[in-house]
Amino acid sequence: MKKLSTVLFILSLGLKVHGQGTPEKRDTTRRLGEVNVDAQVRRKVESDLKMAVSVDEFLASSDNISFIKRGAYAWEPLLNNMSTERATITIDGMHIFGACTDKMDPITSYVESNNLSSIDIKSGQGGNMHGATVAGNIDLKRRNTPFGLPQKIGGAYQTEFEFNNKQAFNLGNLFYSTDNFVADGSIAYRNAGNYYDGNNKEVLHSQYNKLNASLGLAYKTSALSAVRVDAIFDRAKDVGFPALPMDLWLSRAIITSASYKQLFEEGLIKVWDTKVYFNAVEHYMDDTTRPENLVHMDMPGWSTTYGLVSKINLKKDQYSSEIQLNAYDNLSIAEMRMYPQDRSKQTMFAYSWPWITTRFASIAMNNSWEISDRNKVNLGGSLGWNYNYSKYVEFNWIFHPGAPQKKNRVLPSLQASYELNLNQFDIAIGTGFGHRAPSVSEAYGYYIYNSFDRYDYIGNPDLKNEISYEVNASVGFKTEKLSVAAKVNYFYIDNYIIGRILSLGSPMNYQSVGVKGYTSLNYATLFNTAVSMDYKILDNLHWKAVLTYARGKDDAGGNLPFIRPLSYQTILHYGSKRLGLQTSLNGDFAQHNYSPMYGEDLTAAYNLWNLSADYSFSLGRFKTVFQIGAENLLNEYYSTYADWGNIPRMGRNIFTSLKVNF
Amino acid sequence: MKVSLLIKTIGFYSAIACVFLGSCTKGKTDYEAERGGVVDEVVEFKEVTSAVTAGYTISIEALNGTFYRGYNDIRVKIKDTQTNTPVEVSALTFLPIKTAVTGEKSSCPHQYDFGYNAEDKYFFGYTVFTSESGTEGSWTLDISFTVGNQTVSLIKEVSVRQQTNKNLNMTAFTGKDDQQYIIALVSPQKPNVAENKLVAGIYKLNKPLDSSSKSIADQLKFSYSQADRYTLKLDPRMPEPSMGNHSSPNNKDLIQDRDGLYHGVVNYTMTGNWTLNFILLDPDGKVVRGTEVPKDFTPGVEGRKSELHLDILF
Repeated sequence: MKKLSTVLFILSLGLKVHGQGTPEKRDTTRRLGEVNVDAQVRRKVESDLKMAVSVDEFLASSDNISFIKRGAYAWEPLLNNMSTERATITIDGMHIFGACTDKMDPITSYVESNNLSSIDIKSGQGGNMHGATVAGNIDLKRRNTPFGLPQKIGGAYQTEFEFNNKQAFNLGNLFYSTDNFVADGSIAYRNAGNYYDGNNKEVLHSQYNKLNASLGLAYKTSALSAVRVDAIFDRAKDVGFPALPMDLWLSRAIITSASYKQLFEEGLIKVWDTKVYFNAVEHYMDDTTRPENLVHMDMPGWSTTYGLVSKINLKKDQYSSEIQLNAYDNLSIAEMRMYPQDRSKQTMFAYSWPWITTRFASIAMNNSWEISDRNKVNLGGSLGWNYNYSKYVEFNWIFHPGAPQKKNRVLPSLQASYELNLNQFDIAIGTGFGHRAPSVSEAYGYYIYNSFDRYDYIGNPDLKNEISYEVNASVGFKTEKLSVAAKVNYFYIDNYIIGRILSLGSPMNYQSVGVKGYTSLNYATLFNTAVSMDYKILDNLHWKAVLTYARGKDDAGGNLPFIRPLSYQTILHYGSKRLGLQTSLNGDFAQHNYSPMYGEDLTAAYNLWNLSADYSFSLGRFKTVFQIGAENLLNEYYSTYADWGNIPRMGRNIFTSLKVNF
Repeated sequence: MKVSLLIKTIGFYSAIACVFLGSCTKGKTDYEAERGGVVDEVVEFKEVTSAVTAGYTISIEALNGTFYRGYNDIRVKIKDTQTNTPVEVSALTFLPIKTAVTGEKSSCPHQYDFGYNAEDKYFFGYTVFTSESGTEGSWTLDISFTVGNQTVSLIKEVSVRQQTNKNLNMTAFTGKDDQQYIIALVSPQKPNVAENKLVAGIYKLNKPLDSSSKSIADQLKFSYSQADRYTLKLDPRMPEPSMGNHSSPNNKDLIQDRDGLYHGVVNYTMTGNWTLNFILLDPDGKVVRGTEVPKDFTPGVEGRKSELHLDILF
């Protein structure tokens, strides 16, 4: 709890004068923080094994996140085994949408671990504050240095080298903090070559290169208020996607925001935080490095979003509440231009996203009452409005004649939960209901090639809202040495949107075998469970284990795709004052419940053994940590259930890293 | 203090905006220009030629002021030459005649009795010129109209040019029934990546019944007639090898409407070269001409075309 409060304290813009402020002010901040924290997972961006992680690697250590991987870079996070359309992924509450129709640029690929302080993962309707969702919300929290730190200027530099793919990874961040002005800056650069699989075979087209920089400036306008402007710039270049017939030539994102935050010492309202934001993403694919391709094709994409998010926190006695207003306007454009063999001839052009505008606004409120020390009730809801406009609707009419050019949807959401603390037991049960609108691709996509099942996908503007009904429960047991927790959730999703083979039309992309249209199943069900255990064997010897299982079925009892089979992670950690040793095992069991209809096949089980050691020392006045380790120590050849095209994963990878804090 | 911060904020943002907004690495495609690059749409009728006969000025108009090989909508305006005012004309007939180099005369599908638009005071009809003026022969128009009791006739030589817009292409062929047919595309002039209403005229050459008794004009006048109650089955495909015989959904075969023309729907899924593969069925459903084309998706192989087809490019 102490750690959490610290994180929150930093997050709440640190409107505290350094060191010793007036105690009651600090109290306010902390109490407010507690409101935010309940029923959510907030994690520091660092994995148990490795200190220089990518955002993807970090998320992978969470028990309700799995990944679709198309290569070594830009993994698509699945929350509760549901794809990114069903979840909202936000950066400090800001909505951003990738510009790639093939989902090669999830939002998580536009940030870097050193411009984040933590990641909030909220499951199911618990994530409805940031907009309509089914799976939940992943909120990437930006790093914010508090005002008036005792150390005025500081920072960290971290360098890492990974031997398997010759990845050089350099991170630097710097802050400047005075009583009423703060500047934060970070820069990160990674460059990786092709990786080698467990058979020591080079996986071609798996290289990448990424530059990320961020800047934040905050100014305290009064004792209880501050303004802040932030910008993140991200550029990825020459990124290979071994599982796809094309690579990324360049993608760039600029993510900017300006916010105003006001704290209140008295009264019901405690914090009011408002932010306007703008972000733009451009994404250009490149197939010129694939001479085997029959057709040369350009596939540029653009996504531009303007938005507003405003949040108020209320608290009175045992009651606390959060009210959030979201609004954004997004324009998504994706083009494809195919070149005939005879380049002098007319090229062939079409939009895969024919200029789709999405406008969304929602108001959400979550309330909680601490009925007693042991009982707590949470009740919340949101009401959203989603508007779509297709500028070149004639593209959509080809498959859906007469479909409306504009579409309005109302997206309600409700959630309730009850938490009970009985001595060493923590019990929570919850339920939720929520609608989501189809994504741009699901509603308006046009011949979007999916290289997993090798079909061209067509959107349907008339798709119904997907409606989710969920129940969840968790039980935790804690003693001084042992803590055990079991979590389970079950989703019943009406009008579950998925691609089904269309009997009409023929493919456009030469690799594809047919055309699928997004359609609604009557329903689908999804069940997720995770059991985790934490045991302090000795004071400095620590064991952790997580077991997860999920099952997804469609309305005919068939398997849903991309459902993680039984999987485990276990880690043993030894830490003395200066030395840390960790070893971990993780793996998936065989995926028996695969879905051939969506291009899946039986994926065999795999087990990975990882090892790392770190040593802390002082270099002059700098605190320094050196780490060396190996992932997949036994060089196992494997691919996971969600590896696009069954591309093999990385074999043995030795990494070293050095971090200097100043 | 607050103001200076605001200025800083604005400065910071406008700097970012300048750097970024102005500099998308690759420009977006101008879709309007993309479509306009290959095909120009013409909607305006302009004078092709005019003649003065018996105190009347006869002005013949077509789209873009040009007659093209293929289907042409035609308007004729008649004015009093002296007063330059429209004249009350009760009927107008229109007969295009082709004179081959050998001197042989023939006609082409056309509307003989023109309709009249009373509001704008012009006669309208159509002609499907089957060849361009030049080595194959020359074209004259034989026009007659009646003012009061007076019948005025004139013959005017006109020039027929090549149709550069492939969307208004035409084809002439002999069917399995030994009849000669002409299929001419009427619209769309400028298709879109969309559902397009496809209109075509189908005409049949009439076998001369009794050639001795009538004048040459009488014979030519009835040389072609509209083919009635036929069906034109449609299968549009992209023939480029790279497109692997790609086709589109929701197309509709062309059937005859009250205007005598054949109407159907063609969907173009992207710009580029398309082939309209046809099978012409007679009123009994028998194949007159055309072959089924393979439906498979065969990347790298040029799409096979029906023996009855028209190539399109937009």
